[in-house]
Amino acid sequence: MNHALDTRHAALLLAPLTLLMLLFFLMPALSIVWTSVHGGQLDLAAYRELLTSALFRRVLATTFEISIEATALTLVIGYAIAMHLARLTPSARAVMMIFVMLPFWTSILVKSFAFTIVLGDAGLVNRAISWLFGTETPIPMLFNRVGVVLGMLNFLLPFMVLPVLGNLLAQDRTLQRAAETMGAGPVRIFLRITLPLSLPGVLSGVLMCLSLSVGSYITPALLGGRTDMMMANLVDFYTRQTLDWPAASAIAMVLLLITALIVVLLTRVRGGNVEVL
Amino acid sequence: MTKTNENRELNAAVTVSRRSVLLGATVAVAAPMMIAGRARADSTLTVTCWGGDYHKGIDSIFAKPFTAETGIPVRLVDNADLARMKAQVQSGRLEWDVFDSVGPQITAGAKDGLWEPVDEKIVNRSDLVVPGGTHYVGTYMFAGGLAFDPKRTPDAKAPAVFKDFWDVKAYPGRRGLRPRISETLEMALIADGVEPAKLYPLDVERGFAALDRIKPHIKKWIEATPQTVTLITANELDFTYSYISRVRPAQIAGSSIAISTRQTLNSLEYLAVAKGTANREAAMRYVDFCLRPDRQAAFAETLFFSPNSKRGLAAASAEARKYMPDTQNPANAVVDDEWWAQNYSALQKRFTEWLLI
Repeated sequence: MNHALDTRHAALLLAPLTLLMLLFFLMPALSIVWTSVHGGQLDLAAYRELLTSALFRRVLATTFEISIEATALTLVIGYAIAMHLARLTPSARAVMMIFVMLPFWTSILVKSFAFTIVLGDAGLVNRAISWLFGTETPIPMLFNRVGVVLGMLNFLLPFMVLPVLGNLLAQDRTLQRAAETMGAGPVRIFLRITLPLSLPGVLSGVLMCLSLSVGSYITPALLGGRTDMMMANLVDFYTRQTLDWPAASAIAMVLLLITALIVVLLTRVRGGNVEVL
Repeated sequence: MTKTNENRELNAAVTVSRRSVLLGATVAVAAPMMIAGRARADSTLTVTCWGGDYHKGIDSIFAKPFTAETGIPVRLVDNADLARMKAQVQSGRLEWDVFDSVGPQITAGAKDGLWEPVDEKIVNRSDLVVPGGTHYVGTYMFAGGLAFDPKRTPDAKAPAVFKDFWDVKAYPGRRGLRPRISETLEMALIADGVEPAKLYPLDVERGFAALDRIKPHIKKWIEATPQTVTLITANELDFTYSYISRVRPAQIAGSSIAISTRQTLNSLEYLAVAKGTANREAAMRYVDFCLRPDRQAAFAETLFFSPNSKRGLAAASAEARKYMPDTQNPANAVVDDEWWAQNYSALQKRFTEWLLI
């Protein structure tokens, strides 16, 4: 009796969100599926064209290369930041969090333009390097892979730091203390206790970073070189420049399916227990 | 008019109910219908625009005087894109009546059947330099050329014509081009020795061969138009393909940048009327108004474009002429949008692939 009432309550409470998702996620997604198979008449021409398109295959490969590179770098740096933050006092952490969240609050377009000033030949980093080491030739960090990955790192960091930090803070400190008492060094404690326990946080961070970066658009366009074209740029090309919506929709569907596959695979690895923010 | 007011009140009612009832989803369902309803009933003419100084210029020279003369209010909407226009035409819920854009977009829209045929009874084209197509008319011309920083590279050392840009030995420097095949292919062919007057139909293979030669020397294929200016001023590039209408405001704002007018590619900007608009007649009247010689001349004085009206062109002052695209200079070429309408899609795909290799 009570149970039935709870379910009804739950259904009522969930209804607005469900409705919202149906309207603003499922319906557009279905309309994309429809557009991808309906370019004039009903067929799979758009998908067939993609399979034979060298452009599509190259861009697909580049997209995953860049996403994995950016996510890996974000993981290493984000984890280090999260560990440092976890050791601070709550008040100091609150202050430091502002710096972590800063990229969150800045327009990605503005940031990308700003990176020109930081990473360019005459940029801050290169000028500092040439002043420190007396070198003349600037290190190319803009309009190539380095530029894209650094630009994405800046944008992805909060998405890695937050879940990892949440996990680290929730870890039971007595475990570490116990290990210390038993004579384990800091490296061993990290590898045997902290790291394995933090894997759910790491996983949700990696998932978010991967799925966010496969959809990058502005960063590769403004900071990348000619070979750093990503899927979103290709979708934009078909949507806005050639108005070939079946092709654009087909690309979006392929991208969605691949991303969904990654999510499924990664959750399987963890036995389906993923902690999502 | 009353209908519009009714709808406004309805909109206000919906906003209030959102606050009090907090039924977000209901509002979400209702809001698009309200907006669509208003767009249909409204007698305001909505014209797409490009923001900034351009918006101000269009407003003061075309929109306001048009309203003063006809009583039809004009609303300018910035940064419109063709994909959204297509979605509006397909769904039959039009928000925009007149679309203002460049050749590749306008012709792609024409191919997709997004425009009303130009009403020759209302739109007078007798005075136009380039008459345009059955579904669109050219309003003015803008010029693309080679930009550089005169402080870093004095005039003599900067490439002034496209041949110089391709000559990396005589003009050493970091170069930037656009990742778009239109204009870029024309540049390549002119640099390779094709006479500007005899460009079309473009010799595609010869053009790509010329592009192969310059490819290793291009540091950035510049996606965003403002970057054609900022990358010069930030000292990341020495020479880019940019536009007089972009470089001139940067100069006025005090940036050290210049653009060679010894050779330019001149392209037309067009107006087209959205298919199925309830304001078709008013839209055609607006298009015709924009083509009037006195308006065309006034526009050239404000922004650095060349009128598409012959009499408007003749009326432009000497000062405006200094920064206007020059159609008389035999070194310059006019981009043929009709040719690109047939070839843009396929060639841009080829070019994008070429860029990735």
